Amino acid sequence: MRIRAVLSTLALWLWLAVGSSHAAVLTIALAQSAQSDAAHFPADVAAVATTLPDDWSQSRPDHDGSVWYRAHFAKPAGNDDELLALYIERVCTNLEVHLNGHRLYSGGRMQEPLTRNCYRPQLVSLPAALLNPVGNVLDIQVQGSALKHVAVRARAGGLSVLRIGPAAELGALYAQREFWSITTLQIASVTLIALGGFLLALSWINRKERYLKYFGALLIAWALLSLRVWWPHWPLETRGFELLVCSAFALAVGVAVQFFLSYAGVRSPRVAGGLLLQCLLIPASLAVTAADHFFLLANTWFALMSVELIASIVYYLRLVWTSRRVDFWPMGLTAGGMGLVVLLELAVQYGWLPIHAVQPLNFALPMLLLGIGSRLLQIFGRALQAAEINRAQLEIRVREAAAEIESNFAQMSALRVEQVTEKERKRIAADLHDDLGAKLLTIVHTSESERISTLAREALEEMRLSVRGLTGKPVQLADALADWRAEVVSRLGQANIEVDWRNPPDDLQQTLSARVLVQTTRILREAVSNIIKHSGASHCKVRTSVDGAHFGLLVQDNGNGIPMELDGKLDRGHGMSSMKHRAKQLAGQCLVESGPGYGTVIRLTIPL
Amino acid sequence: MNNILLLEDLPEIRAWLKVLILQVFPQSHIQEAARVHDALELVTAIKFDLALIDLGLPDGSGVSVVSALRDSQPECQSVVVTIHDDDDHLFPALQAGAFGYLLKEQARELIAEQLKRMRGGEPPLSPSIARRVIAHFAAQAKVKTQQRAYSMPHVLLTDRENEVLLRVAKGYTLPEIGGQLSLSRHTIADYVKQIYRKLNVSSRAEAALEAQRLGLFDS
Repeated sequence: MRIRAVLSTLALWLWLAVGSSHAAVLTIALAQSAQSDAAHFPADVAAVATTLPDDWSQSRPDHDGSVWYRAHFAKPAGNDDELLALYIERVCTNLEVHLNGHRLYSGGRMQEPLTRNCYRPQLVSLPAALLNPVGNVLDIQVQGSALKHVAVRARAGGLSVLRIGPAAELGALYAQREFWSITTLQIASVTLIALGGFLLALSWINRKERYLKYFGALLIAWALLSLRVWWPHWPLETRGFELLVCSAFALAVGVAVQFFLSYAGVRSPRVAGGLLLQCLLIPASLAVTAADHFFLLANTWFALMSVELIASIVYYLRLVWTSRRVDFWPMGLTAGGMGLVVLLELAVQYGWLPIHAVQPLNFALPMLLLGIGSRLLQIFGRALQAAEINRAQLEIRVREAAAEIESNFAQMSALRVEQVTEKERKRIAADLHDDLGAKLLTIVHTSESERISTLAREALEEMRLSVRGLTGKPVQLADALADWRAEVVSRLGQANIEVDWRNPPDDLQQTLSARVLVQTTRILREAVSNIIKHSGASHCKVRTSVDGAHFGLLVQDNGNGIPMELDGKLDRGHGMSSMKHRAKQLAGQCLVESGPGYGTVIRLTIPL
Repeated sequence: MNNILLLEDLPEIRAWLKVLILQVFPQSHIQEAARVHDALELVTAIKFDLALIDLGLPDGSGVSVVSALRDSQPECQSVVVTIHDDDDHLFPALQAGAFGYLLKEQARELIAEQLKRMRGGEPPLSPSIARRVIAHFAAQAKVKTQQRAYSMPHVLLTDRENEVLLRVAKGYTLPEIGGQLSLSRHTIADYVKQIYRKLNVSSRAEAALEAQRLGLFDS
C-alpha cells in the first residue's frame, strides 16, 4: 500500500518533470457559500460569493457547524472516456459532496462526534453518468469549528481550492499528499513506539540512566499524539477531543523537558513537580474555561510549554558545549532542530505562517526524535562496548593478578620450605659438631691407642663430610678440583710422595651436587690413604677430565701395586670395594688396575 | 717468654692443647678460659703474645674474643682452633683479625708444626678461604665505586698478592706457588700475612661503613 503510494508519487514527479500539461485540471477558487444545517444547499439563505481557500478563522470566526459551498463548472476538455475526480487538499473538519443534486460522497460522520479529516486530503470520483458537458453544480457541505473553540489553527474550519480533473492525475496528487502527511506519520509512529518501548525496557534494566526512561516516554507520547492527525474516528465531541490533545501535549512536553534536564544531569524534584502540576492544570483550566476562550487559553499554554522546552534544550546544549564537546554537534542539530520546529509550530498558531506549513512540521518532529533516539542508542551502544572491553580487560587483569599471587605464593612457600630445611640442616650440623664432634675429638686426643685415634679422626672427617652433604649446595667443579688438589698435594707431600696433578686447562662451568662432591672426596681420600699406607710409591700422578656429561679422575702411583691375594674378595683395609660401591651409588664406575711392581691405577668416572 | 691465652670449653681438649703448647713453647705462661666472658676479662687484664681460640663456645663465639684482641692488643697473634674446617666458620674469624687457624683433630705433630710456622709468620691459606678473600675484595671494589662519598680506607691487594691468592684458589700449595713465582718461602708467607692484614682492615672499614649507614638511617 505504502510502496504503491511512493511509486505513484514518483510517477507524479516524473510526470511533472516531463512537463505534461496541467490544462486538463480545472481549479475552482470561487464558490457561493451559505451557513446552514440543511440537508441540501439552502435555497432560503442568501448565498455569499466566497474565494477559496476559505479559512473560517478569517471569513466567519464565530461560526460553528455547517457551511454549504456551491460551485458551477463545465466538464474539463479532454478525452470523454476519462474518469474525472474532485481533489480537495484540505477540508476541516469533515465534508459531504453533492453533484448535480446527487449525494456523491461522505467523509464520515457529519454530526458530533465528527469524523476528523483536518489533516487528510480528499479525493472524490465524479461518475461520468452524473456529469453534464456544461453547467454542473457541485455542492459541498463542510462541518467545522470556529477557531476560538479549538486549540490549533490547523483544526479550525476551512476549505481549500477545489480541483477537478482526470482521476489518474489527481489520484497521484492525492496519493502524494496522503503519503507525506498521513503515511509517513504512521510509519514514524510505529517506529517511535518500537524505539520508545525499547528505550523504556533499557531504562528498566539501567535504572541509573533516567534520561532513557523520559526519552522512551516522549517517543511513545509523541506517537500517540500523532493519532490526532491520522486517526479520524474519535468518539469525542470537538471540545473533548481538543482537551484530550492538549493534555497529551502537556504530558509530552513534560517528559521532553525532563529528558533534556536529566540528560544534562539535573534532577530537580521542584521542576518535576511543576511539570506534573502543569499536566493537571492544563486540562483542568481548559475544561472550566468559557468555550470562546479555548483557543486563547490553549495557545497561552502552548507558548509557555514552548518556552519551557526551549529553555531546557538551551540549558542542555550549554552544558554539552562546556563538558562534552563531541556530543554538541549531533545533539545541537537534533535538539536545536526540535526547538526550531516548536517555534515554527507556534508561529503557525499565531497566524504568522500559513496553515499548510504544519504538514512538514508534523513530519519533521518525529524525524528529529528518531535522530536523537538513534544518537542515544549509539552512545548507549558505545558505552556498552566500552563496558564490555573494560570487563574483558578487568578479567584479564584479575586473571593476571591471580596468577601472580599464585606464583608468588608458590615461590614464597618454596622459599619458606627451603629456609626451614636450611635452618634444620644447620641445626643438625651444629648438633653433630657440638656433641658427636666433641666426643670424637676427645677420643682422638686422649686415646692411648694410635689405631683408635686414627679411627676416631677418620670418623670425624666422615662426619664432617656427611654434614657437608647435608647442608651443602652445589659446588663449582673448578672449586672442588682446587680443594682436592690442595688436600692431596699436602697429604702426599707430608708423606714425601711427589705429586703431578693436572686439571683440564679450560674454564669449567660444571657444578657438582653436594652428594657427588662428598662421595668423590671419600673415594679420593681412600685412594690417597692407600697410596700412603700400602703402596710404598714415591710418585703419584693425578689427571682430571671432563668429557661431555662425565667427570673422570685418574690416580696412578708407581708403588708395589695390590698383591694378588688382596685383590678381589680380600680387601684388608684397602677399601677398594667401598670405593667401587660409592662410585656405583653415583651411577659411576671405579676401575682398579694393579699388578705387583706396576703400581696401581684407579680410574673413576662419574656422571655430572 | 710468652703469655698465651687458651680459650677452649672442653676440659680434655684444653688439657691436651695445654700440653701441646708447653711442648712447643716451653717457657710460656698459659691462661686458660672455658667461656667467652672469662676470656674477655683476661684480655682486659693481661697482655698476651698468642691466643688459641675455639669458635663454638657455650656463651658465644670466639670471634668476639678475636675482635677484642685485635682492638686492644694488636701485637697479639690470634689463632683459631676449631673443629669446623669450612670457610663459612673460619672466614668471619679471619675478618675479625685471626692470623690463622688449626683444625683440632689433626695429629699432635701436625698441629705443633703449624703452630710453629704461624709463630714464624707463615699462616695457612686454603683454596676455599682464598676464594672468599677474592670475593670479599671484589665486592669491596664494587662498593667503593658506588659509594665514593664515604671516606673508606683505601685497601687494595697488590698484583702479587692477587696472583698468590688466585693460585691458592686453584689448589696450589704455598711452596708450589713459591716455586712457580720464583719467590722464597718467606716472601710468600709475607704476602699471605699482608692478605690477612688487609682482609682485617678492609672488613673493619666495611663494618664501620655499615654502622655509619645504619646511623644515617637512624638519625
